[in-house]
Amino acid sequence: MTTIFVCEDSLDGILTGVYEAWDSRLGHENVRLQTEAEGTLELFCQYRPVRRDLEKAEKVLRTVRRRMGEKAREAVCYAAACTDERKADAIYRLIVLGLSMADGTKAVDCLQNPAVLLVEKLRYKAWHEAERMLGFLRFEELENGVLYARMEPPYAVLPLIAPHFADRLYQENWIIHDLRRGQAAIHRAGGGWFLTEAEALSALEKESRSGTEQEFQKLWQAFCSSIAIEERRNPRCQQNLLPLRFRPYMTEFGADRSRTVLN
Amino acid sequence: MQHTRIPEQLPVMEKLKILSDAAKYDVACTSSGTSRGNNGKGIGNCFDAGICHSFAADGRCISLLKILFTNECICNCRYCLNRSSNDVPRATFTPDEICELVMGFYRRNYIEGLFLSSGILNSPDYTMELLYQTLRKLRTEYHFGGYIHVKAIPGADPALIEKTGFLADRMSVNLELPTAEGLRRLAPAKTREKILRPMRQVQNRMEENRNELALYRSAPRFVPAGQSTQMIIGATPESDFQILSVAESLYQRFDLKRVFYSAFVRVNDDSALPALPGGPPLLREHRLYQADWLLRFYGFEAGELLSEARPNLNVLFDPKCDWALRHLEEFPVEINRASYQTLLRVPGIGVKSAQRIVKARRLGSLDFPDLKRIGVVLKRALYFITCRGKTLYPVKIEEDYITRNLLYVKEKLPPQLQGDVTYQQLSLFDDGMPLSFGEQAGLLAAEGQELLTAGADAGGAGRFV
Ligand code: SF4
Repeated sequence: MTTIFVCEDSLDGILTGVYEAWDSRLGHENVRLQTEAEGTLELFCQYRPVRRDLEKAEKVLRTVRRRMGEKAREAVCYAAACTDERKADAIYRLIVLGLSMADGTKAVDCLQNPAVLLVEKLRYKAWHEAERMLGFLRFEELENGVLYARMEPPYAVLPLIAPHFADRLYQENWIIHDLRRGQAAIHRAGGGWFLTEAEALSALEKESRSGTEQEFQKLWQAFCSSIAIEERRNPRCQQNLLPLRFRPYMTEFGADRSRTVLN
Repeated sequence: MQHTRIPEQLPVMEKLKILSDAAKYDVACTSSGTSRGNNGKGIGNCFDAGICHSFAADGRCISLLKILFTNECICNCRYCLNRSSNDVPRATFTPDEICELVMGFYRRNYIEGLFLSSGILNSPDYTMELLYQTLRKLRTEYHFGGYIHVKAIPGADPALIEKTGFLADRMSVNLELPTAEGLRRLAPAKTREKILRPMRQVQNRMEENRNELALYRSAPRFVPAGQSTQMIIGATPESDFQILSVAESLYQRFDLKRVFYSAFVRVNDDSALPALPGGPPLLREHRLYQADWLLRFYGFEAGELLSEARPNLNVLFDPKCDWALRHLEEFPVEINRASYQTLLRVPGIGVKSAQRIVKARRLGSLDFPDLKRIGVVLKRALYFITCRGKTLYPVKIEEDYITRNLLYVKEKLPPQLQGDVTYQQLSLFDDGMPLSFGEQAGLLAAEGQELLTAGADAGGAGRFV
């Protein structure tokens, strides 16, 4: 009988599931991983809920990094951010494969293996989304000088992009708010960043912006419109490259609530 | 000079409008080529692949704050909006104004950094000094660690250019027009020698810097993202062959990172300029980028793609397809044996799929379904390849036959060309159907990385699928 390990839909949740499934010694062919609230219940299966355990998750990720290389670690992290219901099991299969090989770094290249191929596809999807967020995210300066950004990405890319901003805006206090998941990444000037539930942050959305904020927004809008070449005008192309769904929070498309006058 | 000097007190907003508008015809907007973490003191880092922060209404990527320091120019290049004989509003930034803009924009994640060009105010030295002062302030007083692309002004003191290069990530001197003759006609104040001199200087200094860095890893870095240039396409009568040959020699002899091609936009009503009733030659620009791609990544030479007898790129086919059709004697190639270089020359096989083929065939011989999985575009490649000695379908290796069939395979042009008139005429050949939105999106997804950089570079560099 197949045992299905049901884990929380997060990187740590899935990695804990990998740990538990492995540790159960039921045999890889007898276990499956699934994230919560996905799939219909199957008869003749045993369901085992998995409690997220940071230590176990950390152990698995370290092992992946050591035995299967940085590429595999990245693939696992990015794939876990996607919404595909097969992702947890595919990640498990990839790790099982990698750890069974003499050279685990080759596992991510075995694209003829359906699980590996799926992880690779998901990795690409999340990577593409994260990559775009690195550019399209917009910070606004609050009155106390804190930089505040909002987004609603389809995948859980916040932990994937936060390190980039932690390095880039090292001397700044900043908050990136994922409104869809109610999560935020918070960074203290000169320090590290951490992920937190964002209930307390809803007030920030309405908090007033700093004195120069509006001025910079206007300057940026002016720049964006004057830099376009009229003779090459091509809104369709613009929309292909910068889909509408990103625009609600982008300054140059009239994101700021205080600027309704300009719209 | 007849223009009135605008007082310094012009609001920054006005200056920004004037000086970004004046800078927009420079196509290079890439922020790629440098990877650098935060130094812990200030703001900013660099991301090797470059990041697009927005897209303008013309579909070009916005990555850098692209501005001129001044558009008060003593020269009168005939194609240029800022030429001294034009009656346009003039403005000049101060170094501090630029620094404030860069910092304010960068903190809000609007930009990757600064692209600073300039008209020539008073003299080349005077202007270069201002550019240097701006960069010095930005790096040392504002502790800006993001990307900076700066122009080297032809004719300026080499010492000034050198100092500036140590503060920038990329430097460029625009070739402007492909030939010396073109320059004589449209930019009499510029000569080929005057433009190539600073280019050579930057190249030599980069070379020296590499040696310094080999000795001392912490030596200051000179133009780490390399040097680029730009040519205007279609303002003068040069052929594609001439243009590509120039590009090739720039890559080989000047070690340039990139050559950009800018479809000429007729901003001045001047009898020396062509009329261009169809608008800027965007399809031609696109074909040149594709050919440029072949020079840099596919091992082609300009002389293979074009010749005196066939001086212009084929509008119907991308340059690689065109080359293959004229060299059918080299096909079909056997996927399981052909060298990497040979695979690269097959239409439908790009750099990524060629690499994957070479890797995958070590593990076992490949058949057509494998190629499909690898990402080979079979409907293009099928006329040129065999797997285990067999073609996919019974095909004739015959020019007319293949040409006819390939014309029915839609070429995936980048979205930049969707509205292009020439292309719409061409699309008669491919089912009469322009690319759908879905296909474009698929194309984007399939070549994300490459496209992002390509889009960043020039609003549409060449890609091959
Ligand atoms: S030097 Fe020529 S191209 Fe440059 S700004 Fe002056 S007139 Fe324009």
